[in-house]
This record gives sequence, C-alpha cells and structure tokens, in this order.
Amino acid sequence: MKKPIALLLAAAMVVSTTACGNTPQQDVEQFEGNYTFKDSVSVLCTNWNPHTYQTNDDAYMADYIRSGFYEILFNDELHEVEGRDPYTTYKIVPMMAASEPVDVTEEVKKSHPQFNIPESATSGYAYTIDLNPNAVWEDGTKINADSYVYSMQQLLDPVALNYRAADYMEGDFVLAGAEAYYNSGKTIQKVNSTDAETLTYNLADLVKGADGQYTTPEGYPVFFGLQTGYAWNGGNSLGKYWEAYGTEVIPQDVWDAVTAKADKDGYCPVTDETLETLYKFTGSDAWGNETKEQLAYMMSYTYTYPTVDYSAVGLYKTGDYQITIVFDKAMGGFTLLYSLTSNWLVKEDIYESCKRMDGEVYSTTYNTSVETTSSYGPYKLVEYQADKGLRLERNDSWLGYSDGQHVYKDPHDGKYYNMWMSSAIECQVVAEADTRKMMFLKGELMSYGLQSDDFDTYKNSEYAYKTPGATIFFFIFNGYLDAIKNRENAADFDKTKYDLETMTLKSFRQAIAVTYDKELLATTISPSRSGAYGLIGGTYLYNPSEGARYRDTDQAKQALCKFYSVDPSKFSSLDEAVSTITGYDPVAAKALYKQAFDEALAAGYITDTNNDGICDQVVEIEYCASTHSNFTETTINYLNEKLSEVIAGTPFEGKVRIKESAPYGTDWSNKIREGMSDIVLAGWTGSTLNPFSLTDLYTNPSKQYDGKWFDATTVRVELEIAGEKITLNLKEWSDALNGTTVTANGKEYNFGEDSASVEDRLNILAAVENEVLQTYNYIPMLQDAGMSLLSQQVYYVVEEYVPVMARGGVQYLKYNYTDEEWAQYVADQGGELRY
Amino acid sequence: MGKYAVKRILLMMMTLLIITFMCFVLIRMLPPAELPIEDPHSAVILARREAAGYNKPYLVQFGIFLKNIFTKWDWGVSDVLYFGRDVTTIFVTKLPATVVVNLYSIIFAIPLGVGLGIFAAIKKNTWIDHTISTLTMVCISVPSFVYAFIIQYFLSYKLGWLPFLMKGGTDYFSFSMFVSMLPAIMSLGMGVVAGFTRTTRAELTEVLTSEFMLLARTKGLTKTQATVRHALKNCMVVVLPSIFAEFISIMSGSLIIEGIFSVPGVGGLSLNAINGRDYPIFTMVTVFYTTIGLLASIVIDISYGFIDPRIRMGSKK
Repeated sequence: MKKPIALLLAAAMVVSTTACGNTPQQDVEQFEGNYTFKDSVSVLCTNWNPHTYQTNDDAYMADYIRSGFYEILFNDELHEVEGRDPYTTYKIVPMMAASEPVDVTEEVKKSHPQFNIPESATSGYAYTIDLNPNAVWEDGTKINADSYVYSMQQLLDPVALNYRAADYMEGDFVLAGAEAYYNSGKTIQKVNSTDAETLTYNLADLVKGADGQYTTPEGYPVFFGLQTGYAWNGGNSLGKYWEAYGTEVIPQDVWDAVTAKADKDGYCPVTDETLETLYKFTGSDAWGNETKEQLAYMMSYTYTYPTVDYSAVGLYKTGDYQITIVFDKAMGGFTLLYSLTSNWLVKEDIYESCKRMDGEVYSTTYNTSVETTSSYGPYKLVEYQADKGLRLERNDSWLGYSDGQHVYKDPHDGKYYNMWMSSAIECQVVAEADTRKMMFLKGELMSYGLQSDDFDTYKNSEYAYKTPGATIFFFIFNGYLDAIKNRENAADFDKTKYDLETMTLKSFRQAIAVTYDKELLATTISPSRSGAYGLIGGTYLYNPSEGARYRDTDQAKQALCKFYSVDPSKFSSLDEAVSTITGYDPVAAKALYKQAFDEALAAGYITDTNNDGICDQVVEIEYCASTHSNFTETTINYLNEKLSEVIAGTPFEGKVRIKESAPYGTDWSNKIREGMSDIVLAGWTGSTLNPFSLTDLYTNPSKQYDGKWFDATTVRVELEIAGEKITLNLKEWSDALNGTTVTANGKEYNFGEDSASVEDRLNILAAVENEVLQTYNYIPMLQDAGMSLLSQQVYYVVEEYVPVMARGGVQYLKYNYTDEEWAQYVADQGGELRY
Repeated sequence: MGKYAVKRILLMMMTLLIITFMCFVLIRMLPPAELPIEDPHSAVILARREAAGYNKPYLVQFGIFLKNIFTKWDWGVSDVLYFGRDVTTIFVTKLPATVVVNLYSIIFAIPLGVGLGIFAAIKKNTWIDHTISTLTMVCISVPSFVYAFIIQYFLSYKLGWLPFLMKGGTDYFSFSMFVSMLPAIMSLGMGVVAGFTRTTRAELTEVLTSEFMLLARTKGLTKTQATVRHALKNCMVVVLPSIFAEFISIMSGSLIIEGIFSVPGVGGLSLNAINGRDYPIFTMVTVFYTTIGLLASIVIDISYGFIDPRIRMGSKK
C-alpha cells in the first residue's frame, strides 16, 4: 500500500518540478517596498535548537529559519494534483532534498547487517536521499551529507541527552541503532510492561539467583517498581495509590514490607517473599483478584546497554550530497515524506562553540540568540531580545527563492507571484488579549485571535477566519457503579437525600445526552467552537495524501445516523440526513427521564415514599474541575439551567443537579478514571493524519477514561470485510485496525494500513465509533475551533481552510499595502480601523 | 558605628547563608512536574535530571552549588525556562529594563509625592488637603494594573500619544525608549506618589503641631522658615528611610506591569522559575534579592543615625 502511494507522490513531484521549471521567470510579478509581517505571542521562544526545544512557543521560528527535505505546498496549476481543483489540497515537493527518496532496503540489508533489517523485508527499511547541492547556510557555507551526519551524531550524543533524541527512537521515524547509541554504556531500569498486554518477560521466564532475587534469562536483576508509573495503569504507580488511598487499597503490612526492602528510588527486589507479599493484595478483591503471573506487569529490570559508537546508527553518508537512512520499522509513502518535512541540521562551527558540561551532561546555547543562530530557511534572525521580541529578515541565500518552485498563481488576479512576500517578520510579546486587540485595531498587528467577548461584534466580519481544531470535547460520564456505591456508603453520605447510582443507568445517560442543544452550548460557553456529534473531529484525514476527511465519508455519516436514530432512507441524501442531527431532543429526554426513574426505583437506587411520582433524592452529579475558573462556572450554570428546563414535568423535576468539585488540579483525570468524580468536559487530540489510531483511546484500558467500567472485549461486533463476515470484540477490531495481528476463531486478522483496503478500514472505524458512542460514557459536545481577524493590510490567497495547509500561513500571504502605504491608510481612517 | 556596621554585615552573611540553604532545599523538595507516562521525551528529562545531579542528597547538591560559586562564580545553567543559558547572564541582561523603569518611576514619584504631602500638611483641613487626601486614598486603594489598562486605553489607544508597549532594544536612556516607558512609569508611579504623599502629610502634620514649632515661631521665625528649617527636617526621619527603601526596591520588577507593557525585566522570573522548577534561576534570583534586602535593612538602620544624631546605633544604653 505504501509503495504505490510513494510512487504516486514521486511521479507527482516530477510533474510538479517540470511544471515549475516551465514557469517563465519574467511572468512572475515582482514586489517592491517593505512588507513587514507584525506578529505577537504571549510567550516568546527562548530555545529554538532543533535538538533541544520542548514547547510550541520554542518552535515559532522553525518554519522561517529552517527547511525540510520535503515541503508541503498548495496544489495549483504549477503543482497539480489530478482530479482536484486548485487550492483544495496540497502537494509534497523536494526542498533540501534533490529528489524523492529511493528505497534501498535490499542493498542495505546485505551491506549493513548490523541494522538488523528483517530477512523477509524487501522495502521500506532503507532509503537514500539525494541532497540539494544548492542548499547553504545564511553565510554561504555549503550544506552537504557531512552536515546531516554530524548533526544527527550530535542529536543522539549519549552525553548530550537531547530532548529531541526521543523523536528518532520512538514513534514512526525510528532510526536503526539510535536507541543503542543514545544509551551507549548506560544502565537503566527498563519497565517490563509496555502496555496492558505486552510483557517483555513473563513470570515463568525469570530465573532465581543464588541470593534469592529473580533475574531475566540474560541475568538482569528484576525489581518491583513501587514508584514507577505504568502505562497500563494510566501512568500511576503503586506509591501514588498508597498516597491517595492508603490502606483502602494496599494493606499496611504489605506496604511496609515491600518499602522496607526497596531502595531510595522505590525498586524492591523480586524474590519469593516479595512476590508472596504483593500477591496478598493484588490477588484480593480490593485489587481485582489478579493472578500471581500478573505481578509481572509491575516489574522492572536493570539493563546495561553495550557501548557502541555512531557507526551503529542508521544515518550515514553515501556521497558528498547523498545520505542513507535506515529505519527500525518500515515506513514509506506519505508518512515518510511527511516525517522528512522537518530537519535536524545544526551548523557545526557554532554548535561546537556553544557546548558546556553541566554535571555529567552537556548543555548548549545553540539557537538561543542571534549570534548562535544560522538560517537555511526563507528568513534569518537579525534581532532577538528574550521575553521581548524578535525580527527576521529575508535570507537571500535560501535556495527556495531561486528554484522556480516557490511560485504560485493567485486565484484572485490570475498572476504569478513568489511565495514569502513578507520582507521581514517582527514578533513581539503582548501578554494581554486586550492590548493585542487595541494594537490590532490601530493597525499594529496582522491578526487578532477573538476572545469570548468579541464574538458578537466580529463573528460576521469579512476579515474573520475560523480554524477548526483537532479536539472533540465530550462529556465523560461516570458509569463506575462499584465506585459510586463506595461513595454512597461513606459515613457522610445521606442516601435519603442524595443519589448517585441513577447516573449509571443507560436511560438516564441517554436523557442527559439529548438534554443539551450543542450549538447553543458552544455559543454560550465557547463561541469559536461548534457542536460536536461524533467522537472523531472534522480535521482528521483518513487519506492524507489526498486530504480526504473521515467525517466526509459515507461510513462516518452512517455511524452518526445510526447513533442518533436518523433513518437515511427518509431523506434524499445521506448529507441531508446528517444535517438534521442536532443531538437535542427535549421531548425524548423527558421520556427517558421517566424511564430512568422507573428503572432506578425498581433497582432500589431511589425512593418515592409518598408515591407522588417524584424522586425523593437529588441525583447529584459532580463536575470534575481541575481548577475553578469562569469557564467552569459558566459551563456548570448553563448545564444546570438547561437541565432544569428539560426535567420540568418529569419525576426528576428539581432533583438533578450538577455541582462543581473541589479543584483537583492534575489529578482530575484519575478522579474520573476511578469513578470518584462524575462528569467533565474533556477531549483527546491525536494525529490528525491517522484517525484510525483514535480507536485505541476508547478500547485500551491503559488509555480509556472508562476503563474501570467498560470492557471493550465484552462488546462483539460483526462486520463484512472483503466479502467475509467477521465477528470480533471491539478491542480486537481496534487492534487489528492499527496493524496488530489478531487471532480469533482460529484465523488471523490484520486490518492495518498495508493489510486492508481503505474502505474496509473506514467501515471498521465507523463501527467502533458507533459502539463507543452507544456506551454513553462519552457524549460529544463541542468541536474545537478558533477564530481570528486578519488585518486589512493583507489577505489570504486561499480563503477556505484546507487540512494540513490551513490557509497557507505567511508563505501564501499577500499584501494590499506596503508598510508606508499602510501607515498612511491607518492615519486616513482616523487611527482606528473597523473590522 | 563602624563596629556596629561590621557586626551587622557578619550577621547578614550568616542570615544569607541560612536563607539560601532553605530556599535551595525547599525548591528542590517540590515534587517535579509530572511527566506524561507514554511520552518518550519523559525518559530524556528524567535522565537529564539524574545527570545534572538533581537526585543526589540535598546537602551534596548544596555543597556542589557553593563550590561552583566560590571557585568559578558559576550559578548554573537554566534547564527549563532559558534552556542552556547561564543564569547570571539571563539575570544581568534582564535586570536593566526593570531598574530603568523603576528608577524613572521613583524619580517622577518622590518629588511629586513629598511635595503634595507638604502642601496638604500646610493646608491641613482645607479643601486642598481634603482633595489631596481623597485622591491619595483612591490611588493607594486601586491596584497598579488598573492604571495600566486605563493609561493604555486612553493615552495609547484613544489618543495615540504613547506606544502600547515598551520599545525593544537596550538603548534604555534614549528619548524614544523613555517615551515608550512612560505608560509603565506612570502606572507604577501612582501608588508610590500616593504613599509618599500620605507619609509626608502625616509626619509633617504631627511635627507642625509640636511644641518646638511654637517655640520656633515665638523666636521670630516665619511659618515658612520654621517649616523648612525645623519641621521638614524632623519629618524626614520617617520619610527618608522610605525613600531609601523605594530606591532599593527598583530592582524588583512588577510581574503584572512588566507583562502588560512588555517590559523585558525580571518581574516574573521568580514565579516562573518556581512553576517551571528551574532550580538554578530560582536559587540565583532568591540569593540576589535576599542580599539586596539584607543590605537595604543595614543601610536604612545606619541612615537613621545620620538623619537624627540622637539615634545611636549599637549603643547599649
């Protein structure tokens, strides 16, 4: 699957390059005058070193002072994508690379056996990339293969412990040998369980040593990590459980016994004695009657990496302007090219001068000032003052200004223009939104992100642009009956006045789901956002190379119709059917509240002692607040107000209330996961280029918010895939969809990217989405989005938001006025502009 | 006096060491920021912490810290907020902006505040006094960030007389820089003006009603002569130390005002360092301000002896 995509992209790139080459340079309109892009941030970057930066703030300059091997441009007449209108999608073209990567897996497998490319692999593991010989640093120094190899060696240097080294050791872009070199000679504690299902060593694999401590078959000592956060447990450690719940969960004698044997970091040797001690409580009711073998999930082992040099790393020079990259796991097509749109280059002479040892690790001041920064992107840094501002000016050495590729045809006037019209970029720190707004209205900033108070004034402005976000905010709704019963059994809980159990009834949860008009909720509490109806947001692309969105597929639309009980056959089209979904039905809600009342009464959750048909207790739903804020207060007030309206005339009239919790801080997610708090507006953000990976968040107990009360292995779903009816549980469908081979009914199934058709994968994704929605553990409420005003000095060449490209950013920004003309224009308007 | 000063300085050094040790340990006792369990970068951060010695016993860490200062004048490297940069360089480059804004603010505020105070005291219980006292109370009660927004809205946005933000660069004494600092200077100065007005008025009013003032008048001095030669000098026993204190505080930035006017100063440094667990920055900043505070208290105490010779420092009787 990946190979055809790679070939398609490669062919497209050749066409693109040819097309650009044919653009007569004299036809390109020339800009004269100064065009300064005036930007603002709340926090200014402090460290933009590609090896060490940590935050998005620090990534501010990346697009301006660096270029990737490949670059993503809008499709237009010069960068055509077959079957797509101009400016509706994008195209990946070579930038610092001279051409597309060439797969050399077979050759490297023979010539470099140290990279352990699997014998069966024929492609996807090794590529050569020809480098663009015209690439230079801003001072004219050539960038060649040695530059890339040096930079990667520095990035992975075991003494440097660079933050970004992790990007090349885990995830998609895993360089062969990167982990071995980065950890060369180091001794670390390795966690035995990578997730809820995968163990490196089972208990039976361990070997008892002469001192009674178990070791791995290779002889590495094994420990219980009392303070180690485990992925399968949402990052919590036993120590955290002890701090939070004490003897409610772990008996005092057990905790005392294991901590007495543990070292200062909480590593307790695994011996027969400690195994028995810990099993005393993991095998008890309080912990869920686990088997002794499951104790292996709490183990770590001391591992010492062998000492290796950089030759162990799969990135090396194969020519003055050619490098070869070897991966630990196969990758290709869009994923490979997309990964190579960033870069790790550093300038050797500056980098060396910036190092300093600090303890046993070295620090670097590279890319923290003008003097320590050299550009190979469209702009160069000329001024920087920490916490104040920076100025970038055009880098005339950048190869993109002369390669004939960075030209576009403006759909407004049909003429050709060079990209990056801004002659300079100024960015200053403006902490307050009110100040930003005033500066924007005075013409001193290029854009202004609207605040809640601004929406009424500016939402219909012709200069207002809405940008969708990836996150769907849903209500996570407590259904953990055991935890709720425990809370009700607490001494200070008055069961005659309050009830919590009713909220676990499906009818009650359905009623809550249709109680709220989601668009109105969005308008009230967060106007830039809109109502949400599915679990997967509108920005997720199932086919990134074509910019195709999951939410636009028939499968996704049918999933919504099914969940919201809309019959598509009654409409002229699926789109029309979907457009009728509001998720708001007060009539149905009232009926559901009545049904919930009857069920709760029958279950003994509530009482109706005087038989007046009104619940005696108040169903008190705790809103899980991380911190008290105006937003939380407005949200809860709105929820209660609308709830009161809908439950009027039902047995729950005046008897359901949402109340704010104490501020839980970062512990809020644990409170939700443990059923200690009841409802919260939260969401996941995944890779928008892979909606399929989101299913894991709802079916994997180590990631689920509802993992304590929803077991995805108990829900069986039948689907027809490639003409075969297959029944798997939800977890198996999710795993298979994400490339894990699942064995069920005596057969193996894998519906990963390379193993199943896109249509089949979409069918599975839609089915999983529908099943998860049916649990009512997650009630979609808001689609994230932001809205901003754009200055009258400029306009976007592309008005409509296009996934991945958005509106093209500074690269495609066109100016209506030079700086001097703009100053005059603002003065002519009386110094204050109207939007 | 000399003996007293030496004694105070020695005591100050001991106090400084104790405070430094306490702050050093307390900041390191804060639980480190939680790291996402599935993020591969978390392991890198933990490894850096280990390599940087943050997992060593606190006393060992403190010993290394003192050794680096005394042998290399090395206060460490920021590992969160300004990754890789020497903390003294960060502090020294940010301090001037704070000092200059505060200095201008005091230069503007002290004469105005003291002058208004004198005027109100002399015109005691007249409409002038009432007006000044009322305005003083208002200015003291309203937080400086409120002035900041009012000044920014009217003078910068509506009238366009002043820029919204402080100018970039380090030409702190240029005219354009001064103009760009005016909104911040005025916002910071309002409270200081009011403070000095109230103190001066209160002290001078009390002195003016003293018996020796009556004596001075009966000796034949005019009211102005008596006020300038006797009353003002006496009331300065209280006013002058507060002027010293104000000058010393010019090095402590205002988190909010610096934020609003984009003053690249030290205002948020301490708080950000605590929130970000940037130990070297926090320790350096704490030691600096502790030193300044302790020095200030000595200077103020000693200044009493110069202002009023009746006050004897270190005297046992």
